[in-house]
Parts: sequence; C-alpha cells; structure tokens
Amino acid sequence: MPEATLCDDVLKVAFPAIQQNAPVCEKSSHFVVPKDLLPAITHYLHTQPNFRGRLTLLWACDHRPVRDTYGLYYLFTLVGSHHWVVLSTELIGNDRLFPSITPHIHAAHWYEREIRDMFGLIPQGHPDLRRLVRHEHWPKGTHPLRKDFPWDRVLGRQQGEHHFRHIEGEGVFIVPVGPIHAGIIESGHFRFSVAGEPIMQLELRHFWKHRGVEKLFEQQTLIDALPLAERVSGDTTVGHSLAYCQAVETLLHLEVPRRAQYLRSLFLELERLSNHLGDIGAMCNDTAYALAHAHCGRMKERIMQLNDRLTGSRFLRGAIRVGGVTRDIDNGRLTEIVEELNRIQPDFSEVGAIIFANASLTDRLETTGILHERTAWDHAVMGVVGRASGMNCDLRRDRPFAAYDALPVNVALYRYGDVRARLRVRGDEIHESIRLIRELRGKIPDGPIANEPSCSPNPGDWTLSAVEGWRGEILYMVMAGEGGRIHRCKVRDPSFVNWPAIQWAVLGNIIPDFPLINKSFNLSYAGNDL
Amino acid sequence: MFRIIKKSLTIGVVTGQYQKGGTPAVPVVPEVKKKAGLFKRSFAIREVDTGSCNACEMEMNALMNPVYDAEQFGIHIAASPRHADALIVTGPVTVNMERALKDAHKQTPDPKLVIALGDCAIHCGMFKGCYAVTGPVERHIPVDVRIPGCPPRPADILEALSELRKGRP
Repeated sequence: MPEATLCDDVLKVAFPAIQQNAPVCEKSSHFVVPKDLLPAITHYLHTQPNFRGRLTLLWACDHRPVRDTYGLYYLFTLVGSHHWVVLSTELIGNDRLFPSITPHIHAAHWYEREIRDMFGLIPQGHPDLRRLVRHEHWPKGTHPLRKDFPWDRVLGRQQGEHHFRHIEGEGVFIVPVGPIHAGIIESGHFRFSVAGEPIMQLELRHFWKHRGVEKLFEQQTLIDALPLAERVSGDTTVGHSLAYCQAVETLLHLEVPRRAQYLRSLFLELERLSNHLGDIGAMCNDTAYALAHAHCGRMKERIMQLNDRLTGSRFLRGAIRVGGVTRDIDNGRLTEIVEELNRIQPDFSEVGAIIFANASLTDRLETTGILHERTAWDHAVMGVVGRASGMNCDLRRDRPFAAYDALPVNVALYRYGDVRARLRVRGDEIHESIRLIRELRGKIPDGPIANEPSCSPNPGDWTLSAVEGWRGEILYMVMAGEGGRIHRCKVRDPSFVNWPAIQWAVLGNIIPDFPLINKSFNLSYAGNDL
Repeated sequence: MFRIIKKSLTIGVVTGQYQKGGTPAVPVVPEVKKKAGLFKRSFAIREVDTGSCNACEMEMNALMNPVYDAEQFGIHIAASPRHADALIVTGPVTVNMERALKDAHKQTPDPKLVIALGDCAIHCGMFKGCYAVTGPVERHIPVDVRIPGCPPRPADILEALSELRKGRP
C-alpha cells in the first residue's frame, strides 16, 4: 500500500516527462501528462501491483473561450490506499485526436465513445467507434458539449441505422427487446442472439432518454443547479444532490456544520433502505414469488411515507442544500425514525428467512447471472454489483464523506457474483443502514444546520466529489466559470460503468432469466443516459 | 408454510394505510370523462417513459403495492400498448424517444386515453428548450388528462384516475 507521497515519487521517477500540479481535492494527486505518453502511463498505473489503479472517471472539457484547448482528464483510484490520481492532457488548437486507452483498459470503452459523441474528439485505436449517445438519426457534426453548440438548438434528422453485432448460423435467432418494456420501467434497447434458450450474446443500445443534463448544468449558476442534480436519477435524489453540493462547497471553501453532515448521512441511509427493500421485492417478483414482493413493497412504502413526514417529499427532494440541509430533524423526530426502523427490522428479518427457506426461489437465484471477479475488475464495476463479485469498495469506508468518518461502516462483501449474492449484499446493507441510523442518533451533535456561502468561486477552478449512493459511487466534477456559473459539470452515475458488465453476466443464461439478472443489477437508465 | 401463514396473519390488511390525496389539481374535461366511462370497470394502462428521471415510474410502481393496491379499482398494467385502454406518458419527450412514443400511440387501439404524468410530461419541467428534448407530450400526441407534480404522489395519481372514471358512458 503506497503512501500518497511515495506514489507520486514513484510515478515521477518512472515518467520524468510528467509534471505535478496542485491537487484538486483531498487524498488526490494531479499530473499533467504529454498526450503521446498517455497509453504508457495509464497502463503502468492500471497494472503495477503497487498501484492497481481502477479507472474511475474519464472526462473531457472544452476550455474555450478562455483558451483554445480541449482538456482530457483520467481519474484512477489506487486499490490499496484509495488515493486518487488525476492525469490530464490538453489538445491544442485544431487537434482533435487522442490515443485510446481502451485496448488495455477496458473500462474506458464507453467513456471514450461518449467523448467522441459529445465533443467530436477522436480516440485513435479505439476498437469500436460506433455512436453511443447520439443515435444515428442525429445529424453529422452535432457535438452538444462543445462551447459553440447552443444549448437550445433544434436538431434535424438524418437517415441512419445502428449496426448491431450479430452472430450468424443455423438456429441462431436475434431477439430485440425495447426501447419500451413490458413493466413499468425506463426505456432502453436490448438485443439478444440466442441458440435455443441460452443467450450467446447481448448488446445494449441505450441513451434513449438523453435529456442533455450536462449541457443544462452549464446554463446555470453553482447554487441554482441543485434541482437539476436531484433529477439526474429520480431514485437517487439524495446521492446526486449530496455529491453535487459537496463539489460546490469545495469550490466555495464552505464548511458544512457537523449536525448537517450527520443529517446528510441520515438521508442517504434512508434512501438506501427504501431502494434496497424495493429491489429485494422486485427480484423475488421476477421469480414469480409475489408474496415477498408484497411484503417488501409494504415495507418500502413505510420508509417512503416516513420520508414524506420528515421532509415533505417521498424522495427527500429539497432536503439538502449547498452549505448544509434545508430543515432540521429534531431529536424527537430522530427517535420516531429509530422506532419505526425498530419495527421494520424484525419484520424484514422474518421476510428474509421466508425468502431463503424457499427452495424453488433459491434454485432460480443461485448460479444465475454470474459476474466473475475478473470481469468485474476489467469493467471497473463497483457498488452493490461490485461487492457481490468480490470488489471490496465502499466510499463510506474508503473515502469518508458527510458523517461517515465518525460512523464506521461494515461493508457487505460476497464473491460468487450471482443473483443470490447481489440479493445478499442488499439484505446485509439494509441491516447495516438501520444500525448506522441508530448509531447516528446517539452521536449527532447540536448546532446549526447550514452555512451561507460567502465568496464566489474563481473561474477555472474545478474539483471532484464522490458519494456512495445506494447503487454505488456517484461522481461529480464541477468546474466554475465566469460570474458564479458552471463551466462544465461531469456527472457519473454508477450505472454508466455497470451497464456494460451486464452483457457478460447474462452469457449462457436463458432468456427468461434475463429480467431477473437485470433486476439484480437494477441500474438507472436516466442516470446513464443523462 | 406455517411461517408464511403466521406472517400474513400478523401483518393483516395494510391497504388504505396512506394519507388520502386531495381533489385533482387539473380538473378532468367532461368529454374526456365521457370517453373514460367506457373503462369504468376495467382499465388497462400502458406506461411509456419518454425521458423521465424514474421518480414517476417509481410512484406508478408504488400504485401496485399492497398499500395503494390499484388493482382493487380494476386498474391494471398491460404489457403491450395493443392491450391498453390508456397510455400514461412520463418525462419530456426526448429526441431519441419521439418515434417510439408515436409508434406506441399508433399501436394502442381506439378509443384510447393519453395521460401525461408529472410536470416534465406536461410542460417539460426544467428540461424545457434543451437540444435533446423535443417538447411536451401534447406536441406529439393528443393528451386527455394531466396529473401534475414532481413526482405526483401515488395517492394523487389514484385520486385522478378514480375522478376520471366517475363519468357515465
């Protein structure tokens, strides 16, 4: 486990051409790298046993009108020390080419295609340059995140067709599903190649719900953009608004009162509870076990109604603000929450016992949709899905935010990577969240609940912020612009990383198990499509 | 087995344990009520998401849980627009979903209702004017009922749906 300074020194010795900049946030290092050195240094960071850097985020930024350059930024998390290493490089003037790192770091696959669509920068050597975000009917040359692209432009329509990968042979069928699905779920397209029942290949076609969120952020000021962050993915309202607020607070050098930090943790755990309860029920429902679905739906509804009583919103919208939280939860209310959870916990334990005592249910869950540890690592999978496949990562423990420095988290970890493991992770996390909320009530200090921002950010300053939402790591990169506006805001929901991994988890499974596998991942389409 | 029965007996009936919604914020037009009267006893809904944030979907899902239990009013979710009496559309219509929405609408047999659920479907909410959004639902297909809210509570959705089906054919 290399210490932070040591890792910086090792990198500088290995690559003398790189130049170290001031870090953008805590526990991180920032290096400026010459463009042609990128593949070598990323490969080194990713594979060196001392580092084992996991590609956490890759984003681009149009620096115009300040400078005529595009910036490219690579964020790696070192697995041992959870230290962040940011590598950045610049494309100057009319340069539109950058070397692709996908051939040796698979996790960069979608990021580089996204950059190509949104900025028109071309990753040279990328194995798959089909369009990702822009569907084929978008006119040529539309790259929405370029600064010369007006946010309210009306797009034309051109002819075009997406070429799916396909398998040919006797008895091989193609099964297209979506974008509108049979249940009440979001829109996305899945294309299966099957021979009989088993799935030979699955290809995803997403981004049907692309709403231009990142461009809309750039039209707003740092303070006013919070409602937009809450609506990136509706079921992760707290996760996204908290990650956004943390980034803005770093830029404004704003200290958050201790009580507010505890309340933020409380909201995040309540969100985790309601979603995990709903997911466990929905997974049981996909095996046609309606009884567990009904019980879990009932418990989830109790948490949603509790949220409503606490903040006036079932999704805890408007609960968090820049500088703190909007309303206090007094100690009487905290006791009410803990009493409600004390009633839910034994209730849930009983349902859990019923679920795992059911042989036909277990038969559907075990060995279904296995995501191997190696595949999970190659895709940089994290969150609930990662923890079911042996990826030992949880930001609440690894890079504590809000009040988690005072609330140690026991991380649920399973290695088998099947649907049952993902169900077990969720079950364990429900008990852990309830334990955390109890502990939180005992430790929460009195005091103010918000601080007012007093200064304005320096144009060009940027920072990163990360929150462990109920799905996994939510990352925000916010760069301040002129007059308190946002120059660039990169949003990364965990779904964006975990979606491609599902294509590998389904292989060899039968089509009727796909809804179950998909539900066990339960990824957001809205947060992925942005 | 006994554990399951015991659990069901100790929990009892939870249906109706929620705060009732108020009268619908947007009143239903008499012509629409007349049309909806056909579906008084049985109402099959197809939900189409054209770019919502998923909160409206979650509230629609909540409608089917034991607490709200919309099935008791004859409301159920159809798996295909061809089996539906009404489309519930959520979210601003994105550039990529425009065709799919029109297709789904075409495939729904007449007479049909279109319900715009949530602020985004009604007036695009905070996504108004963006390059990736083509406009509210009514720009593409005729809308009969509007249920505002961001997202609307399940109790409000239920209230609006029962108000709608009070009319006589």
